[in-house]
Amino acid sequence: MPDIEELLKAMHDEVVSFNEEGVREATAAFNAAEYDPLRGILDGLAAGMNTVGRLFKDQEYFVPEVLLCAEAMNAGVELLKPRMRGAEVKSEGTVVLGTVQGDVHDIGKNLVKMMLEVGGFTVHDLGANVPHERFVEEVLRTDADLVGISAMMTTTMMGMKTVIPMIKAGKPGVGVLVGGAPVTHQIAAMFKADGYTQSAADIVAEAKRVMAATRRAAPACCCQR
Amino acid sequence: MRPKERFLRRLSGQDVDMTPVGCTTAYGAVALMRACGCERPLADTDPAAMAGLALAGHTVAGFEWVKAMGWDITAVSQALGCELGAPQIDLQYFIAGHPFEQRSIDELDCPDDLLSRGRFPAYREQFRILKEKVGDELAIFGMSEGPFTCAANLMGTSNMMRATLKDPKTVEKALEVTTAALARVIDFAFDCGADYYCMADPSSGSDLLSPRSWQKFVFPAMKRLAEAAKGPLVLHICGNTDKIIPMMCDAGVAGISIEEKADLKTAIEVAHAKGVRVFGNVSAASTLFMGTPQECRAEATAALAAGVDFLAPGCGLAPNSPLPNILELRKARDAYFKAQ
Ligand code: B12
Repeated sequence: MPDIEELLKAMHDEVVSFNEEGVREATAAFNAAEYDPLRGILDGLAAGMNTVGRLFKDQEYFVPEVLLCAEAMNAGVELLKPRMRGAEVKSEGTVVLGTVQGDVHDIGKNLVKMMLEVGGFTVHDLGANVPHERFVEEVLRTDADLVGISAMMTTTMMGMKTVIPMIKAGKPGVGVLVGGAPVTHQIAAMFKADGYTQSAADIVAEAKRVMAATRRAAPACCCQR
Repeated sequence: MRPKERFLRRLSGQDVDMTPVGCTTAYGAVALMRACGCERPLADTDPAAMAGLALAGHTVAGFEWVKAMGWDITAVSQALGCELGAPQIDLQYFIAGHPFEQRSIDELDCPDDLLSRGRFPAYREQFRILKEKVGDELAIFGMSEGPFTCAANLMGTSNMMRATLKDPKTVEKALEVTTAALARVIDFAFDCGADYYCMADPSSGSDLLSPRSWQKFVFPAMKRLAEAAKGPLVLHICGNTDKIIPMMCDAGVAGISIEEKADLKTAIEVAHAKGVRVFGNVSAASTLFMGTPQECRAEATAALAAGVDFLAPGCGLAPNSPLPNILELRKARDAYFKAQ
């Protein structure tokens, strides 16, 4: 039987080299050996995607590479999923994600979504050009822990200033993360967002930080949690 | 020296008395619209209003050259079949649909009536008005999206990105058509009297595409356009362009336009060694839009001190940029050369 570490490494490497066929082969071998599918996802495929995030941040990889790596990873996840039934997968938290009203840029937001999912978050993606009220509705519907808002234009970025208080009024304990090219730390603070990252590569750490911080700050009331 | 003479001399590398100041991307700022009474949506579609706003760049903002052909980068994509979203006073026309996201790119061709489609007839008339009013005084430029951005608009940007690695033939086919279309649009602008033509190719920037892919796909298209053009071209790409600036310059353009995210000093060194001029690079997204007039002055002065050839915003003016900030470009230039 092939060694589990070797198979995990193969799955990791094939994701990084965006070789969908290679990912399928390595994952099939992993399945055949009946290793724990959750480890396959976390320590094989998702680990590969984390490496991809780093390569992207270091400008070794660009958007095309990242998109293909994500597809390769998903091909592997599909093969592992049937064996995961019944297994308890603990979600790190629920995130509502979207690009702000008036703004059709969604490539950055899609990368953020991928990294959050890789990091174990459940993501409800509202797409691009999302009306302000939709964020609030979706937060209430899914009882989300976090909201991620992307804006790529100076004009639409100002919409964040409007939507953040709306979201906070709808669910006071929710943490809001903002990002997108024109957004900076200063702007995020000015808009009273709870978190910000410049690159999707750091989003998981930031999301976890904000969740811990808002959890502490939120009033411990049963109707809010 | 007259502004037009100064501009053209500088663009061809001859001596001038001072650095020209203006904008080589869109300057559809609401403050300028209000000042001249030419607001969107008319400023996007009506030749007189389009010309009115173009001229406000000179009369109100103090820019020393003016822009024809609208305030967005969607016109060629529209003429090739992209659906557009409705503009608002502070929101440009934008791409709302990608006709070749599902359909095969083999069905894409450059229609014979390209230049009678969309806004091109209005642009022709706008050029005529501008030539008549300021043609002797000021340089006039035409502008649109570049071939890669146009192809990405038609196919969907994510699709296009994937195809650069997985299906390069499709990318080449799409670029073949968009490059042919752009060649005709550039001809059109020079026939209408443009002094130079600016292409903005943001979707090919290094925030998305690797320099390797830029060299493979975008460089040949740019080279082809530069060789065919009847007049000087300027290439604008947003974001950090450090790694592709040498290639941008080698494509045969007269100038490049870059943002504050690129290293201006190095860009100027590289460009000048290749006989290319540099436009830029006062931050449009932060400083001009959200900064103070003092910060705008400081950034403009720094660009002049670095030796920029044309003092300009790094990218299109954000629609809600305050007028006092915009005015600092001209003031900074005037003060800088008075002090010298
Ligand atoms: C590709 C692109 C397009 C494509 C978009 C395709 C798509 N499906 O997304 C198309 C061609 C359709 C397009 C259209 C327009 N665009 Co555009 N576009 C770009 C471009 C070149 C790249 C954006 C991008 O995808 N970057 C790559 C991704 C990976 O980076 P990112 O988005 O920054 O995301 C990263 C981080 O910011 C962060 N992040 C992102 N979101 C979030 C969210 C959270 C919560 C967090 C924590 C982090 C985070 O993580 C990501 C990964 O690291 C930029 C210029 C540039 N170089 O940035 C202009 C740009 C954003 N566009 C611009 C403009 C003006 C337009 C148009 C108005 C053009 C027009 N009509 O003339 C329209 C807008 C229409 C509209 N209403 O929205 C301007 C905006 C100017 C401004 N600052 O206001 C820019 C900056 C270019 C420019 N300078 O002119 N555009």
